[in-house]
Amino acid sequence: MMGTSDTYLIRPNHQEKFKPAVVKECIREVVRERLTGVRYDDEEVRQLSTTLADSIKDRVKKAGFDRYKLTVQVVIGEQRGQGVKMSTRCFWDADTDSYAEDVFITENLFCVVVVFGSYYY
Amino acid sequence: MHTEKKRSKEDTWKAADLKRYIAEGSHEDGRRGDRGESLEKHYKESRRERDKHREYYTGGRVDADEMYRHVERRKEGSQDRRDDRERNRIEERLMEKERRRERDTVDMNSGEHIKKTDRRRRDREETQERERDRQRQREKDKVRDKYTDEERVRRRQEREKEVRREEGDREYKHYRDRRSHESIDKGGSEYTDKYNRERRERHRERERQGEEYGISRSEKERRERHAERKQSEHKEGKDYQDDRRKDKHDRERRHKEQRHHDEKQKHHSESREHRDRKRTEEEVRHHRSDREAEGDKHTERRHKEEKDPKEHFKERTQEMDKELQQTNSSHTQKAEETKIVNEKETEQEYEDDFEEYEDDFEELDESDNEDGEKEELVEHKEELSLEKREEIKAIQRAMDEENKKVGALSRQNTTEIKEERPKWSRESETTESQTPQRGKFMDFVAAKQREVNKKVASKQKKRSAELLRLIDLDFTLTSSLLDLPPVNEYEMYIRSFGTANTKQAYVQCNEDNADRDIQTEEIELTEKWTQHPPEHSGACGGENLFLYDFDFGIYILSLFSDPNISPKTRDGPLNELNIDSKRLTTFLQSASQVLIVLLEEDEAERNSLRKLRTQTDDLSFSDGGLQLNTNLPFLQGHHISLIHFSEVQKHTMISVHTSTTKPSAVLLGNHTLICIWNIWEPSRPQKILLYESEVQCCCFSPGKATLVFAGTTVGSVVLWDLREHTSNHYQMTIGDDEWTFRHPSFSTDAVMSASGHFSTVMSVEVVPSAVARGQRSEVSLLAPKEATGLSFQLASLDESGILNFWVVVELPKTNVAGSPTDLGLRPGGKVKLLHSSTLSVVDRMLHRAKKSAHLQMLRLKFLPTDSNHFFIGTNMGTVHHGTSHGLKALPKFYRDLEGNEKPVDINSISFSPFRQDLFLVGCGDGCIRLHSVSQEKPLIEWRDGCAGQSVVSVQWSQTRPAVFSVLDSASNIYLWDLLKNETKPVITEGMGKDRVTAMALFGDSEQRNTYSGVALAHESGKIQIQYFTSNLTVSSLSEVEKLTSLIEAI
Repeated sequence: MMGTSDTYLIRPNHQEKFKPAVVKECIREVVRERLTGVRYDDEEVRQLSTTLADSIKDRVKKAGFDRYKLTVQVVIGEQRGQGVKMSTRCFWDADTDSYAEDVFITENLFCVVVVFGSYYY
Repeated sequence: MHTEKKRSKEDTWKAADLKRYIAEGSHEDGRRGDRGESLEKHYKESRRERDKHREYYTGGRVDADEMYRHVERRKEGSQDRRDDRERNRIEERLMEKERRRERDTVDMNSGEHIKKTDRRRRDREETQERERDRQRQREKDKVRDKYTDEERVRRRQEREKEVRREEGDREYKHYRDRRSHESIDKGGSEYTDKYNRERRERHRERERQGEEYGISRSEKERRERHAERKQSEHKEGKDYQDDRRKDKHDRERRHKEQRHHDEKQKHHSESREHRDRKRTEEEVRHHRSDREAEGDKHTERRHKEEKDPKEHFKERTQEMDKELQQTNSSHTQKAEETKIVNEKETEQEYEDDFEEYEDDFEELDESDNEDGEKEELVEHKEELSLEKREEIKAIQRAMDEENKKVGALSRQNTTEIKEERPKWSRESETTESQTPQRGKFMDFVAAKQREVNKKVASKQKKRSAELLRLIDLDFTLTSSLLDLPPVNEYEMYIRSFGTANTKQAYVQCNEDNADRDIQTEEIELTEKWTQHPPEHSGACGGENLFLYDFDFGIYILSLFSDPNISPKTRDGPLNELNIDSKRLTTFLQSASQVLIVLLEEDEAERNSLRKLRTQTDDLSFSDGGLQLNTNLPFLQGHHISLIHFSEVQKHTMISVHTSTTKPSAVLLGNHTLICIWNIWEPSRPQKILLYESEVQCCCFSPGKATLVFAGTTVGSVVLWDLREHTSNHYQMTIGDDEWTFRHPSFSTDAVMSASGHFSTVMSVEVVPSAVARGQRSEVSLLAPKEATGLSFQLASLDESGILNFWVVVELPKTNVAGSPTDLGLRPGGKVKLLHSSTLSVVDRMLHRAKKSAHLQMLRLKFLPTDSNHFFIGTNMGTVHHGTSHGLKALPKFYRDLEGNEKPVDINSISFSPFRQDLFLVGCGDGCIRLHSVSQEKPLIEWRDGCAGQSVVSVQWSQTRPAVFSVLDSASNIYLWDLLKNETKPVITEGMGKDRVTAMALFGDSEQRNTYSGVALAHESGKIQIQYFTSNLTVSSLSEVEKLTSLIEAI
C-alpha cells in the first residue's frame, strides 16, 4: 500500500475495473461446487460460510481487479418456508465501485453471496 | 533535652562514667585484668572510642545526609516538599560535618597515639563544639517550640509504651535482635547495609530515651562497655573469627554478669552496643563500597521501616508483604514469585558470604575505632534527635513516593520482560533516572516507529484530503438481493409430506358450496301484437287474450277430467295453458259439433217433417229433404254458383255465393262469400269465408276438410285454414248473432306474379296422393294426423292452359305479427303455397290443333288412381289427357264418336268412384259421353240426353255405381240408372219456377247408415238437400260387375 499510494490514480483501467458479471460467475462456480448436495447443518454452516467467503475472495482476487478492496458477505440459511428479504445499500463512488451478487437456492438451504469491490485510490 | 543540655554544659558524665566504670571495672577486673591495661588508658581509649563512636554517628549521619541529598537530587525537578531554607540549613550543616570529618580523618592519619595534641585539640574542638552546640540548641529550641505539646506528649507516651513493651519482650527481643542481626549479617552487603542503618536509627531513638530518663549511667556504662569491647577487640589481635566467637562469649557472659543490674538498662545497652557495633560495620562498608542501585533501593526501603525500630523484624516481613501486595496490584503474580524467590536465594547466598564480609567490616571497625577520636557526640545526638526527625519524615515521605516508582521498576527488573519495556519506559524515561540502559534503547526504536507511523499517517491524510475533492461519493439505490416469499401452509405440507408414501384424503367440508343470489328479478315477458288497420277484434293481442277465451274451456276440461290431462289451475304458466288450449280446441271442435248436430237434428226433424211432406210430392226421387238456412242477412242477394262436397267428410259442403252487382242493404255485397256447411246442421253455416273478388272454383283439402282452396277470376289461388281461431278474424255482429268472416290465410295475389296465373283460374284440384289409393274411406276417417301433417300438391288451371303445381306447406309455428318474407301469408296464418312447377297445356296441344287459336281450358280432373295423369276439358269438345311428368299418356284426346273437333264446351267431367277408369263428360251441346281412360272414343254417347239443353253438371252417385245425375241449364235433373235403362234417364224432374243453378250429389256407402242425396242450389239462393229414395241409394250386390259387363257388352 505504501508503494501504490504515491500514484494519484482515481479511476481504474478499463480492464481492471470491477466487472460484476465476471465476479458473479466466480461466485456461481464456487458456490455450485461447494454447496451442491449439501444439507443445512447448524454447526457446519458457520465454518462453511467463512471458508466459502475466503475461497470466493481468493477466486475473485485472481480475476485481477487491481487496487480493489474486496468484501465478501456470505449468508447461508435454512429453507423452512420462512420469508426472507435481503437488500443492500452502499455509500461509495459509483464510478469505480460496484458489487456482484448471486443467489443459490436448493431444497433445504439458500445462500446469498455478495462481493463488494471498492476501489482503493 | 535538659539532660542533653546538662551534659553538654558540664562534662560531668565523664566523672560519673568513670565512677561507674570503676565500680563495674572491679567486677570485670578479674576478667580483664589479664589484659593489663591501665585505667587511665582505658578511660582515654574509652573516651576516644566514644568520640569515635560519635564520629560514627556523625559519619553515619553524614552518610545518611548524603543519601538524603542524593534522594533529593533525584527528586529535583519533580517535587520538593521541603522549603528551601531548611534544605539550605541542612546542606550547611552537612558541609560543616563533612569538613569536620575531613578533619577527623586528618587527625586519624596524624596518629592515634599523640594523645596530648589530641587532647588539646579535642579540648579546643570541644569548646568550639560546645559553642556550636549551643547555637544549634538554640535553633533546635526554636524548631522544637513549633512542635505542639500534644506531639510531645504523644512522643513521650510512645516512649513509655516502647519501654514497657521492651520490658515484656526483653528476652525475646534480645534473642530476636541477635538472630536478626546475625541473619542480616549473613544476608549480605545489601542487607547488612540496610540493617545497620536501621540500627543506627534505633540507636538514636534509644539515646533519646536514655536522655529522657536521665540515665547517664547507662550511657557511661555503655560507653565503657564499648570501650572495653573495642579495647579487647583491639588488643586481642586480628583473629577475627576468634574474636567474634569471643564476642559472643563476652556477650553471653555479660548477659549473665549484668543480671543483677537493672535488667532493662542492661539489655538495652547490650542491644545498643550490639547495634553500635553493627553501625560501625555499616559505616565501614559505606566508606568502602559503592552502593548499587538495588542496594540503595533496599536501604531506602529500610529507612521507611525504621519508624518502629523495636518491631523492625516483624515489620520488615510485613513490609515485604506489603511490598508484595503493592507489586501484586500492578504486576503479575508470577513476576512477584520470581522476585521473592530471587530474594530468598540471594539471602541464602549472602549468608555464606556473610562471614567474609563481616571480617572485613571488623577489620575496618578496628581502624575506625582507632581513628575515630572525635568529640561532638552530644551535639550530634541533639541534632539527630531534633532535626533528624523532620528529616526522617521528609525522607520517609520521599521514600514512599520513591517506593511506588521503585516497585514498578523492580517489577521490570525482576520480570525482565524486554518486549514490554520499550513502550513503557518511554514515558518513564524522563522521570526515572534509574531505568536501565536497555529500556532506553528500546524506547528509541518505538519512538522511531511511532514517528514513522505518524509520518505515514500524515501523508495519507494529506493524500485523502486531496483525493476527496476529486471523488464523489453517493448512495446507491437500494437493491434487493434476495426475496423469498413465505411458503403458505398447504405448500409446506405438500413439501414435507406430499412426496412420501402417503396418501391424501379429501374431506368435503362444504366450504366451496357457496350460495349465489341475484337480486334482480326475472323479467316477465308477455307477448303483444297489434294489427293495423284494426279490422276485427284481433287488432291487438297477446297470450292473455287466449287465456280469456279459454276460461270456459278450462272449466269444461275440469268437468270432463281426462286422466291424461292433468287439470291445470288458472294461475299455472302460460305455456301450459296454451298447450291445454290446443287440446281443448280439438276437443271442443268435435264435442261442440256433436252437440250441435244432435240438437239441430232434433229441431230439423220436427220442422222438416211437415216440409218434406209437401216436397215429396214435388220430387219423385226424393225421400224427404231439408233446406239449409241461407236466409242470412249477408247472403241476401247472392246467388250460388257452385256447390261442392268434401270427398272425405261427406257431410261437409261448400257453397259459393257470388258477389252481386246490385246494391244491397247488406255489407259485403261486392264480396264473394263461401259458406262451409255441415248438412246435418242446416241452421247456419259453420264457417264463412270472405274474398274480395269472384271465386271461380274451389275444393277441399284431401283428408279432413281443414283447408279450402279457391281459384279466382283475377288469376289468384287462395286458401283458407279453417283451423284458425275466430278471434283472429273479422267479426261482425248482425242482429243478435255474431259472425266471423275469414279472410284467406294465403293468397298468391301479386305475390308470385312471375309464376302465377294471368287469366281466370278455371279449376283447382288436389293432386291425389298415392297413399290414398284404394283406401280413401278409411283414410278419411282415421287419419287426422294426415291432415295435420300437410304434404300434398295442388294443381290450378287457368283459361290459357297454364297448369301450375303448388306444394302446400304448413309452418311449424305461427307468427301473429306476420311474416316479413311471405307477404301473401296472413298474420297468424300457418299454411302457405310454394310454387312447384308450371306446365303449358296449350303448347302441347297447339301443334295438333292449329286452327283452334282460341282454345280454352275449362275443367281439370286427375285420374284418382294415378296422380300423374290429368284430364283437361277444353272448349273444343275434347278432353286432353296429359301427364305431369314421364311418358306420354295414350290416348292424348278423348273425342266424341265421330272424332271431330267442334267448338263445344266440356262443362263437367266426373270419375266413377267405383270404376275409376270410367268418367262421364258433359258437353255444352247437351251430349253426355261415357269414356274409358284407355280409349279415345267414348263407350257410350248420349247425344240428346238433355233434350238439347247444355249440360251444367254430371255427377256419379256416391252409393250406386250405375247411377248418375245430370243437371241441364233448363233446371232439369235427370237421374240415370244404367242397369235399368241405358238409353234414357229413369227419372226426369224439372225444378220449374226456381231455377237450379248448381247441383251436387252426396252420399255415404257405409253399411249401417247408407244415405245419398242431392244438394240443389236455387237461383233464389236457397239450398235444398234431397235424400234419394232407397232404390237410388242402396246398391244391389255385384252392381259393379253388372256395370262392367254392360259396358263390355256395349
